[in-house]
Amino acid sequence: MTASDERSPPRIEAALKVTGAARYATETPVEGVLHAALVVAPIASGRVREIDDRQARAVAGVVAVLSHENAPRIAREGVFIALQTPVVHFAGQVVAIVVAETLMQARRGAAVVKVSYEELPAVTAIGQAVDPPFAPRTAGRTATDSRRGDPESALRDAEVTLERRYTTSTNNHLPLEPHAVIAAWQGDELIVHTTSQAVFAHRLAIAECFGLAVDRVRVVSKYLGGGFGTKGGAWLPVLLLGVMTARQIGRPVKLELTRAQMFTLVGRRQETIQQLTLGATRDGRLTAIVHDTLAQTSTYGDYADPVGTPARVLYACANVATSHRLVRVNAPQPNPMRAPGEGPGSFALESALDELAHALGIDPLELRLRNFADHDQHTGLPWSSNGLLECYRVAARSFGWEKRPREIAALRDGRHRLGWGMASACYPVYRMASEAAVRVAPDGSVKVRCGTQDMGTGTYTVLAQLAASILGIPLARVAVELGDTTLPEGPYSGGSIATASFTPAVEEAARQVCRRLAELAADDPDSPLHGLAADRITIADGYLRSENQSEILADLVARAAPEGVEAVARAAPEEKSRHSSYGYGAVFAEVRVDPELGEVRVTRLTAAYATGRILNPLLARSQFIGGLVGGICMALHEDTVMDERLGRVVSDNLADYLIPVHADMPRFDIHLVDEDDPHLGGGIKGIGMLGTVGTAAAIANAVFHATGRRIRDLPIRLERLLPD
Amino acid sequence: MQPFAYRRAADERDAITTATAQPGARFIAGGTDFMQLWKAGLSAPDLVIDISRLPLDAVTVRPDRIVIGALSRMSEVADHPAIRRDCPALADSILASASPQVRNVATIGGNLLQRTRCVYFRGAALPCNKRLPGSGCGALDGENRLHAIFGASGQCAATHPSDLAVALVALAATVRLRGSSGERVLPVADFFQLPGEHPERETVLGGGELIVEIEVPRSAAAARSRYFKLRDRASFEFAVVSAAIALDIEDGTIRSARIAAGGVGTKPWRLHDCEAALAGARLGEASFRHAAERAAEGARPLSRNGFKIELLKRIVRRALETVGEVA
Repeated sequence: MTASDERSPPRIEAALKVTGAARYATETPVEGVLHAALVVAPIASGRVREIDDRQARAVAGVVAVLSHENAPRIAREGVFIALQTPVVHFAGQVVAIVVAETLMQARRGAAVVKVSYEELPAVTAIGQAVDPPFAPRTAGRTATDSRRGDPESALRDAEVTLERRYTTSTNNHLPLEPHAVIAAWQGDELIVHTTSQAVFAHRLAIAECFGLAVDRVRVVSKYLGGGFGTKGGAWLPVLLLGVMTARQIGRPVKLELTRAQMFTLVGRRQETIQQLTLGATRDGRLTAIVHDTLAQTSTYGDYADPVGTPARVLYACANVATSHRLVRVNAPQPNPMRAPGEGPGSFALESALDELAHALGIDPLELRLRNFADHDQHTGLPWSSNGLLECYRVAARSFGWEKRPREIAALRDGRHRLGWGMASACYPVYRMASEAAVRVAPDGSVKVRCGTQDMGTGTYTVLAQLAASILGIPLARVAVELGDTTLPEGPYSGGSIATASFTPAVEEAARQVCRRLAELAADDPDSPLHGLAADRITIADGYLRSENQSEILADLVARAAPEGVEAVARAAPEEKSRHSSYGYGAVFAEVRVDPELGEVRVTRLTAAYATGRILNPLLARSQFIGGLVGGICMALHEDTVMDERLGRVVSDNLADYLIPVHADMPRFDIHLVDEDDPHLGGGIKGIGMLGTVGTAAAIANAVFHATGRRIRDLPIRLERLLPD
Repeated sequence: MQPFAYRRAADERDAITTATAQPGARFIAGGTDFMQLWKAGLSAPDLVIDISRLPLDAVTVRPDRIVIGALSRMSEVADHPAIRRDCPALADSILASASPQVRNVATIGGNLLQRTRCVYFRGAALPCNKRLPGSGCGALDGENRLHAIFGASGQCAATHPSDLAVALVALAATVRLRGSSGERVLPVADFFQLPGEHPERETVLGGGELIVEIEVPRSAAAARSRYFKLRDRASFEFAVVSAAIALDIEDGTIRSARIAAGGVGTKPWRLHDCEAALAGARLGEASFRHAAERAAEGARPLSRNGFKIELLKRIVRRALETVGEVA
C-alpha cells in the first residue's frame, strides 16, 4: 500500500507538526504565566518533618512555595493528591511546588527548598512485602478471579502438565512529550491547556475537585506527543496540583514534568510474577489452564492489570482458573500502559504454549490451531467476529513458517543462530458513548467536531475521512476540531477505545447532514432537485443528484441554508452485548542471536491482524508497528530499575532506561485481515494495543528456537543467554 | 542548573590563563556531556570557557604516528582514511559510541573527559562519593549490573564510559596536556586515575590544564587492531563489555599483544595477564582460548555483575579469533 492509496491518506496534520505550527499544550501562549517546579521526596516512606523554604523564597523571581503546610485542601475519591498531608508514600512524591516568574527561577528555587523527613521502614519490592497478597476489586475492567470447570481435577488427570513461573519488569510509558498543564483562572472560570488523553474526564474531575460547574471549566488538548496510557487518570493528580497552584496564586501557572519525574509521578506498568500451569492431552489439546498473577501496587491505591484475560478467552479449554493478587510497595502507583494486562499476560501464556509445543513435539502454530476457541468460553457468548485463524494463515505464509525446522539451533548464519517463534494476540473491544457534530458551510467545506484527542496516531485524519466519505467530498475540504471540552463530548483515548466509539457518531451525524441537504434541495423551489423524493437524492463528488438532475452542494447550501447545515449525533454501544468482541492477531518473529556473546537482535516481525473495519490502512499499519515496537522493547529493553534499599528509581533518564533505537528495528511485515463485524456499530475494533500483545513471547520463543535457552524473565539481557 | 558566565577563548593561552586563574571555570568544546551534567546539577561552574573554535582540530599523519587534535570531532576522526587504515580499532571504537548526531558535535578530548554513566552518579540525590565525597557509594551493594569488576575501591565502582579511551590504551596512545606551567605527555592509560579514596578525581588533569592532542603510534599491530563492543541495544548505548586488541604478529607467532577492556574497569583496563599469555604464542585456537581464560585475572565482581567475567573472556576470545583470522 502506498500513501496515495485512496483509503490511506497520510495524516492531515502532519505538515503542521513537521513545520512546528501545531501547538502543543505547553506552547500555548498565556499572558502573565508563572512557572512551577516540583520538589520531590528522596525517601520511600515517612513523613515530612519540616519544610524550610526561606532560601527558596529569597530566589529572585520566586512568587510562592506551596507545601502541605499551606496548600489548599482538595480531595477526590480514589486519587492520591500530594501536598495534603505530610505523609510520604514513595520516593519521588511531590512535597512542595515552587512558583516563579521563569522556569529557571522556579527550578533554582526548588533546588534550595530544605525538607527534613522522619523516615519510616519501607517495602520496596514485591519480595519484601510483609502483608499477604490481597485480591483487588477488579483486574483492569475484568473480574479479579475466574473459574470454569474443575482445573485441579483436570490437571491431576492430564496426560501432560507444565508448570512455569514468568516475570515481567516494571516499565514506564515515557511518551516523547512530557506532561504539562497551563491553568488560567478568570474569576470562577477556568481554562486548562494540558496533555490529556481524556479532556472530558479531566474536566469532570477538575470541576468536582474545585467545586465548579462543568461548564465553567474548559480543558484543551489539541496535539499530543504520545500517551500510551500515562496522560489520563495517571496524570490527573499532578494536573490537579497545577490547577490548584494557579487558583491559589491568582495567576496562570504552567507546570511541566521533567523526564525524571515521568518515572514516578504519572503511572507505570506494574511488574508481574506469573504462575502458569497447563494441562493437555498428548496430542496437544488443552485440558486445564491456571494463571495466577502477583503484582505490585502502591501503598495508597489499588491497580491490577487484567493479566489473565488471554488465558480466559484465547483458547478452547474447559477448565480454566485465573487470579490476580497485589502486594503494597512504597513505589509509584501503577496504571494501564500499552496493552495493559494482555501484554504481560500473553508473555506468560504464549511462552507456556511454546514450551508445551516443544515438550509434545508439535509445531507451535499447529498447537494453537488445535486449541482455537470457536466461542468465548469465559462468558459463554459467541464471538461478534473472530479472524484469528485467517491471521495465523496469512502471517505464517508470509513469514515462511512452514520452512521452520523443528530442531533447536538448526538455523545458522556463521557464528550466529537464527530462531523463529510465534504467538497469538487478542485484545478486547472497548467502546463508549460519543457525540460528534458535522457541519457543511456555505462554501461546501465541512467541519467535524468531536471532543476526543489525537495522541499522534491519526484521529484527526480518520475523523475527516469518515465525514468526507459519507458526504462525498475530497478530504482536503474537511477540517477537524478535537481536543476541547467545548466540542460535543467524545471518547477518551485509551484502551483502543476512541475510533471504535466515535466512528458511529460521526457517521450518523454525516448521514443526518446528507438527509437534511437532500430535504433542503427537494424543498427548495430554486433547486433543480426541487420536488424530487429526498430519499432518492444521492450526494457525491460535491454534487447532489437524482434522476438526471444535479446541483452543486455548495450552491445549495449558500442559497438555501446560508448559516450552514449541521447535525449532532450521539452513538452508544448497547448496554449488554450478546456477543463477545476481541481484536486478533498472530505475530511471527525471527531473531538473530550470537550464542557465545548473548546478543539478541530481532531481524523480522511478520504479523497479521483482524480488527474489524480498517479506516486507513496506512495509519493502521503505522499503529501496529508502534505496538510491535512496544513488544520489542518489553522483550529486550525496557526496565525501570529500583534500588531496593533506597526505594528509588535509579534509571530515570533515557540514557539508562533503554528504549529501542532505529538500529534495533527489524523488517516489519504487517497484514490487515479483512473482518466484517456486523455486531459492532461502525464495525470498528481498536488497534492501538494489539501490536504489543504476544510480541514479547514471539521473540522469547524465537530465542529459544535459536539457542535452546528458555527465557522466562523480561527483559532478555545478554547475560541471561550465557551459561549459568 | 546554576547560571554561569560564558567566555569564548581568544586562543589557547587565553583559555589556559583564564581557567588557571579561576578555579570555578570549566572548558566547553562539544558540550554533549557537559550540558547533561549541568542540567542535572552535577556540574555548576561559574565560568564556562568555550574552546571549540581553537585551532586544535587537525588530524596529522606523521611517519611514525598520527596526531589527533583534541578538538577534532569524533565523526571526522572515525572517517579519516589514515585512521581507518592505520588504527581501525580507533575508528571502530568511535563508530560504536553514541549516535551520529552526538559524534558530529563531540570532540576527542571531551570524550576522554566524559563522566561515568553510573546511575548513582547521574541520579539526583542518590548516594555517590564521586558526586558528593563522603555521601557513600550506592552501587557497591546496589544496582551494579553495569559496574566495574576491576579497579573499584571501597568508595566507588563506576566504570569509565569511553569506548575511544579503551582503543587508545590498546594502541599505546599518548595524550599531550598543556597548562600554565608547561606541557607534558602521558600514556593515555596513565591519564586516568583509579578511584581509590578520591573517586571525584578521575584524571591527572590539573587546574586550567588543557588536552591539546592525542598521538597514536603507527605500527603493523595498530593496523590490524580491532574494537569489539557488547551492549544492551544495537546503538546509542554504552558498553556492557568491550575489548580493543592489537597484535604484533610475525610468521604466525604473536610477538606481543596489547589488549584493553571497557565496561569492566573504573578506567580503561589493560589485560596484562592476557597479553603475557599471548606473547610468543603461535596464532591459533589453543593460544586464544588459553589467553582469553586469563582475561579476568584479578577481577572482583559485585553482587550483580559477576557475568562480566565470563562475558569478558568470551569477547576477548572473539576478538583474538577475528584478528587472528585476518592475520
